[in-house]
Amino acid sequence: MTLTTEPNARQYDPVSLAPMAFWAKSPEEREEDYAVLRAERPISWHPPAEGSMMPPQEGGGFWAVTRHADIVAVSKDPETFCSGEGIQMEDVPLDILEAVSSFLATDAPRHTKLRKLVSAAFTPKRVKKIEEQIKAQATRLVDQLIETGDCDFVEHISRRLPQWTIFEMVGVEDQETREIATRAADGMVSWGDEDVRQGREPAELLTESLMALINVALELAEARRAEPRDDLMTNLVQAEVDGEQLTDEEIAAFFCLLSIAGNDTTRNTTSSTMRALTLNPDQRALLREDYEGRITVAIDEFVRWATPVMTFRRTATRDVELGGQQIKQGDWVVLFYSSGNRDPEVFDDPMRFDVTRSPNPHIAFGGGGPHYCMGNQLAKTQLRAIFWELLTRVPDLEAGEPVYLAGNFMQAIKSMPCRLNL
Amino acid sequence: MPRIVVDYDKCTGLGICESIAPDVFEVDDDGSLLILEESPDETRRGELQEAVDGCPTGALSIED
Ligand code: HEM
Ligand code: SF4
Repeated sequence: MTLTTEPNARQYDPVSLAPMAFWAKSPEEREEDYAVLRAERPISWHPPAEGSMMPPQEGGGFWAVTRHADIVAVSKDPETFCSGEGIQMEDVPLDILEAVSSFLATDAPRHTKLRKLVSAAFTPKRVKKIEEQIKAQATRLVDQLIETGDCDFVEHISRRLPQWTIFEMVGVEDQETREIATRAADGMVSWGDEDVRQGREPAELLTESLMALINVALELAEARRAEPRDDLMTNLVQAEVDGEQLTDEEIAAFFCLLSIAGNDTTRNTTSSTMRALTLNPDQRALLREDYEGRITVAIDEFVRWATPVMTFRRTATRDVELGGQQIKQGDWVVLFYSSGNRDPEVFDDPMRFDVTRSPNPHIAFGGGGPHYCMGNQLAKTQLRAIFWELLTRVPDLEAGEPVYLAGNFMQAIKSMPCRLNL
Repeated sequence: MPRIVVDYDKCTGLGICESIAPDVFEVDDDGSLLILEESPDETRRGELQEAVDGCPTGALSIED
């Protein structure tokens, strides 16, 4: 390598995080590259992500932030590193960004107002209230699993509980519509995967998925305007921000955000954890010995280990120095949560899955700041419920080799066989 | 005695503080944070510090 530790602004880093090939690798292989960057060039400059739907800008690219401490610093400084100009590492057409991201891609003061319209449904008291239902649902899912026998774990377990939970809260009632919305939500984050695209262009898959989500959202909004219920969609159609009701577009964007954020994240954490427990029988034994006593600490390790959201982007609002690099106003700054969660400065033996790891200051729910995951407690409640059922009722379940989705946003497991060994 | 100070511009009402010290913090039904006990006993300092450190938005601090 000719380029060494000398920080060399505006020269593309030899370890490139931009190509599709990088994102088609396994998480372990990617970690080898992150380790080099963290140790030698924690803030590095990269060409535009390959496979973007928009032609890359001349001289464009992004800064990759790979150390835990820097990811936290950027996340907690939203005035300097804003979300309003996009949150993905590739250029997404602005109308699509607005259509799906809702308050995720906004900044204060609008972010604060929009987020508050739904955040009240995610408080500890509200999560507690739905916890009993989540547990009952987890019991039913494992009943069905036992009936089914050996099968695809993602299809039969991982995707079911998050889907049930988020749509129960939002107010989507029938299973068929829940399926349509889940598939569409998945489509929004899988356009980088050829297998999912099946010959379609990325933009085609995106548009199709988006239309499907918007349709479900607007039909539901109509129904709740006519007949209000106790659910999130009713809150949205009744909400006012600065004296004005939300537009249909805004309501649909909320729906898209919740459908995407509420499904894939917890699903992938469930799959990744089942695989980790299979490969680490000692860790499974620890949990089986004392589930109630150990699960709270363990769940943070499940989430660190999985890190289902690999990246989010910010845009610099002014010239600023970060980790020795000169960031210019307008530059893209991408947070690599997967890398931060394996940072040896913060985690002892980071490549070890350790359900007793404590403290565990992982950044899988974000590095802090205003966008910190609104669903974190809801996700933890689901994980606690489903692993209780799995570890007590199918204690010897073995998860096989996972098939990963190719792409630079979600660390997603498309399928993973399981054997119940009952 | 420690006194809890909330920066309401930062707080997003997630209630991670509430899950650490439910008798001190409560996020009410509209998502706003209420402080149930502004100056808890000195013996609670460790727990309060945990809530301050655990708050992802950095909205909490302790004043003496
Ligand atoms: C293990 C599961 C989950 C993980 C790892 C996760 C991860 C994340 C991350 C990394 C962010 C961005 C944080 C930032 O930019 O600083 C985020 C934001 C968000 N998450 Fe989650 N999430 C999970 C589950 C959920 C669930 C179940 C929901 C339920 C609806 C949810 C809703 C949201 C929302 C609405 C935001 C946007 C918050 C904002 O911009 O203010 N998440 N999540
Ligand atoms: S943890 Fe922080 S942001 Fe969340 S409610 Fe408490 S003070 Fe507010």
